[in-house]
This record gives sequence, C-alpha cells and structure tokens, in this order.
Amino acid sequence: MKRRLPLLLLLALLVAALLHLGLARERPGLGALLAWLWSWTGMTESPDAADRFVLGTIRAPRVLVAIFGGGALALAGTVMQATFRNPLASPDIIGTAAGAAFGGALAIVFGWADLGVVFTPLLALLGAVGVTSLVFVLAGAHGRFSVANLLLAGIALNTLFGALTSFVVTFAFDNYTASSRVLFWLMGGLDARTWQHAWITAGGFALFSLLVWPRARELDLLTLRDDSAHSLGVDAQRARRTLVWWACGLTATTVANSGGIAFVGLIVPHLARLLVGPAHRVLLPTAALLGATLMVVSDLGCRVAPAGWNLRLGVVTAVAGAPYFLYLLARQRRGVAL
Amino acid sequence: MSKLVADGLTVQLGSREVLRGVSFAVAPGELVLLAGRNGAGKSTVLRCLVGALAPDAGRALLEGQAVRSWEPRARARRLAFVPQDSDVPFDFSGRELVTMGRHPHRGRSEPLRDADRDAIERALGLVDAASFADRAVTTLSGGEQRRIAVARALATEARLLLLDEPTNNLDLEHALQLVQLLRELADQGQGVLVASHDLNLFAPRCDRAVLLHEGRVFADAAPEQALASDNVEHVFGVRAAAPSQFFPRDFRL
Repeated sequence: MKRRLPLLLLLALLVAALLHLGLARERPGLGALLAWLWSWTGMTESPDAADRFVLGTIRAPRVLVAIFGGGALALAGTVMQATFRNPLASPDIIGTAAGAAFGGALAIVFGWADLGVVFTPLLALLGAVGVTSLVFVLAGAHGRFSVANLLLAGIALNTLFGALTSFVVTFAFDNYTASSRVLFWLMGGLDARTWQHAWITAGGFALFSLLVWPRARELDLLTLRDDSAHSLGVDAQRARRTLVWWACGLTATTVANSGGIAFVGLIVPHLARLLVGPAHRVLLPTAALLGATLMVVSDLGCRVAPAGWNLRLGVVTAVAGAPYFLYLLARQRRGVAL
Repeated sequence: MSKLVADGLTVQLGSREVLRGVSFAVAPGELVLLAGRNGAGKSTVLRCLVGALAPDAGRALLEGQAVRSWEPRARARRLAFVPQDSDVPFDFSGRELVTMGRHPHRGRSEPLRDADRDAIERALGLVDAASFADRAVTTLSGGEQRRIAVARALATEARLLLLDEPTNNLDLEHALQLVQLLRELADQGQGVLVASHDLNLFAPRCDRAVLLHEGRVFADAAPEQALASDNVEHVFGVRAAAPSQFFPRDFRL
C-alpha cells in the first residue's frame, strides 16, 4: 500500500483536476471536456470555439494555479514544521502569509502590480521573508522553538501585518478599483487566473521545491535540537535559515497568485505524516500531492456552489481547517505527538 | 597528540561567566569523567568541545585544529555527541533516528549502503535497543529514548564520544551496561568524555576525572585523587565516602 501511495495520490489529483475542469454550473460540462481531450488524438473534431476558450483559457490556468499553489503551500508547511521543530508551524499561523499579503497589497495599491506580472510575487516574497525572519528571531533560540513562543509571535505579527494591510486598503480607498481588488484578493480565490498566473505559480513551485527536495534528509536532522543536528554534521542554524527562506518563496508564490488560503500549509503535512510517517524523503512529495488535491477539490467546491454565495476559496479552507487546528492543539496539550 | 583539547575555554552567558579558562584534554583510549555541581558549566564545556558554542576566549581543538573550523561532516565522523535533551517532536522510529547517525558518511541523496546498515544494527545492539527500535520514539520511555540517542552517536563510528548525562532516566541495569560499554569502547581505543552526576557509577571505571567548580577546573587527576573526600566536600558541600565502594570496577552484571 505504502509503495503504491504516490501513484494513488497522483491518480486522485488527476481525477480531481478533470472534475475541476469539467464540473460547472454552466457549459461546457464533463462531456465537452472529454470530447476536447479526445480531439487531441486527432481522431475527432474539436468542440466549438466557445467551449475550447472556456476550458483552455479560463479553467485550465485556474486548475494549474490550484495544483501548484496547493502543492507549494503544503511543502512550505512541511518545511516550516521541520525547521521550527514544531508541528503547529505553518505559513498562515506564524505570519508568513500575512507578510506576503502585505507585500502583495502594497504592489496592487501603488500600481506596481500593473508594471509587470512579477511585481506582486516579488513584493509578497519580501513581505514573507521579512515577517518570518522576525518570528525566527523572536521565537527561537538554539533550535528551541516552543509552541507558546511561536504562536504568540505569530499572533502578534499576524495582527500587526493584518492591520498594516487594512491601513494600506483604507489609505487607497479613494482608488476604489485598487482597494476592492486587494480586499477580494485577500479573501483568497482563483477566479480570473490567466496563463501568466499559472506559469508563475508553476515556476515558483518548481524553483523552490527543487531547492528543498535534495535537502530532505537534512530536514529530518533539523527536527532534532541544534546541538544534536550540529553534532551530526549539519550547520543547523544556517540550514534552518535557508530552508525557511525557501518555504517563504513557496508561500509567496501561492499568496501572490491566489491570495490568502488558510490552513492548507498546516493540515496537509499532518495528513501526509499520518499516511507515510515523518521521514521527509517520502513526506515531501506526499504532502505536495495531497496539498494540490485538497486545493483543487476546495476550489471545485467554490465553483459549483450556488452563484449567489460568491464563495471564496480562502473561506472554504478556513472553515475546514480551523476545527482541525483546534483538534491538533488539544492533542498536543494532552502530550500526543503530532 | 591528544585528540580533543579544551584550551582556556571562557564563556559568558548573559551577565554570568559560566567558564573561566577551562583546560584539559581527552586522549584516545581514555574514559574521562566531567563532574561538578549543577550549573558548574559541564554542558557548556561539552557544547564548546563539539563546536556548537563558540567560546568568548580560549580554543577547542580537535586533532590540533579548531573544532569550529572543521568541515561539519568531517568533524562529525570524528567526534560524536549525546546532548542532555533528546526530545523529538515527530513520530520517527528509533531505527530512523539511529539512521540519522550515518548522515556524516552519506552524500546528500546517497541511499543506505551495507556498511551503514551494519553500523546501525551494531549501535542498536550495543545499547540493547534492537527490540524497540521500530517503535515510534514518542511511545518509548525516557530511558529507552536515551539509549536510542546513545545508539545514534555510536552509529557515527566516531573515535571520540562526548556524552552529557547519558545515564539520566536509565534503570540500574541499563546504566551499568552503558558504563561498561563506554569502558570497553575506551579500552578499544576510543576517547570518551562523560559529564555526569553519577559519580558512583563512573568514578570506579574512568581513567581520569575532571572536577569543575565555579567555572574552573578544580581537579584533573585519577578519580581516586580528583574525587577525594576533601575535594568532594569542597565542591559538593557534602562529606561522602569514596565512591568506589558502591559499584567497584570489577563489579559485573
């Protein structure tokens, strides 16, 4: 079972992605999707141009952003939990996502986002790295990142950067388009994603996961305290810093392209550990596949919900994730390893 | 040449001077006990010697070279360390944790070789941990976790071994087994430095005892001299009989 798990997860992701492309309140539906895919073999005519446009230009980039964004958030959470030696660390709990959102909001409000497609991700990355570095300094010493310190620093910085982002929005209130764009984006969602967004998300995922992947065994060692990791030949402090930067990169990639998506980075590493255990060589790919699937399924939920709800992806993941977070906190208070 | 040397180690933590010019050496084939009251600076000495802490003054030398200037994995192949705390926040199995001890011998993506597997099994056998090695470490008792931590250090096959309170949480049988194991390792040519409060167990079996007091080396001699009643009274504030009366060197399980 364990050996076949990656294949099963890949299959689940594929099915979820196909459902995402083909299930909708309006046409084209699954039939048109299958006809379109079948037409690639050259054996049949392709469906009409309107269906092709919806599938290829509107839905395909959206599902790709969901896949790579979900994978990136899950990887970011997995890396952070190892480097902070804390199973409750994740981009949205410790403030990385809030920092990224602040950077992204600045880019949108000051019009830098319109100068080039890389500016929002870049500012988001700066915000993410800035806040995470602060948490790193505030919450940790000698590799001892206590739950209390981490969560308290996270609360403080989440509140601070949430407030700063609100200030940016109200500051730009005269510019109604920019401020409403920021607000909608902050709620987290994948509508109106273009191929440019898809390429940036996929590129960010590819770049940072390639940096993280070869260091899977180092991540195992970083779950030990600094002295132990050091004695086994890892420069623990430098490795923690570097890997947290890559995790910030993964977070910023997603936040810049899909706004605030809560709890994916927290929950998915836990589910993955339940399936394959804590060794990162297997855990990282499992988490990435699970994160991608969860994001695709959640976004599918948004898309098929009644139109009047205007359901946002960030709302779906938060409603699903918050109770799980409380459950984990209760378990940790009882002293159960997570 | 001594393999591990503390040369005038001075460490200030906050406003407190924890070490004040601590000097001693550990040679291959020696089992050395580092003793002293709580807060005497034993753990700080070990952290300096393994290179995890940079002293404010003085040097820690491994084979004549500053320990912090070694390439980390090369250093880890020569010098292993069992710290006092060994908590792990995730459900690794004991065997997975001991496998981490082979990190200094493996390339980044290199799979386990037969030599690695042999070293892991040997280390688990030496601390009598094979029977629970496949259980999640968070389900193990404090003593079992300690034995896994020692096995991880043994799996590095380093010639020098530093241990901080290795007998903490160990029952009497396993504590005695561990002390005997460390004695045997020293007899086979390894250098072993143990910081411990367990004078009864270690004093009869060590070659030398270094007694720390208020951040300085108070005595560095054969255990019967370093831990003579007067010294023990001066450092620990208690009048005690010579520790060798409890578990003498020839005591076997």
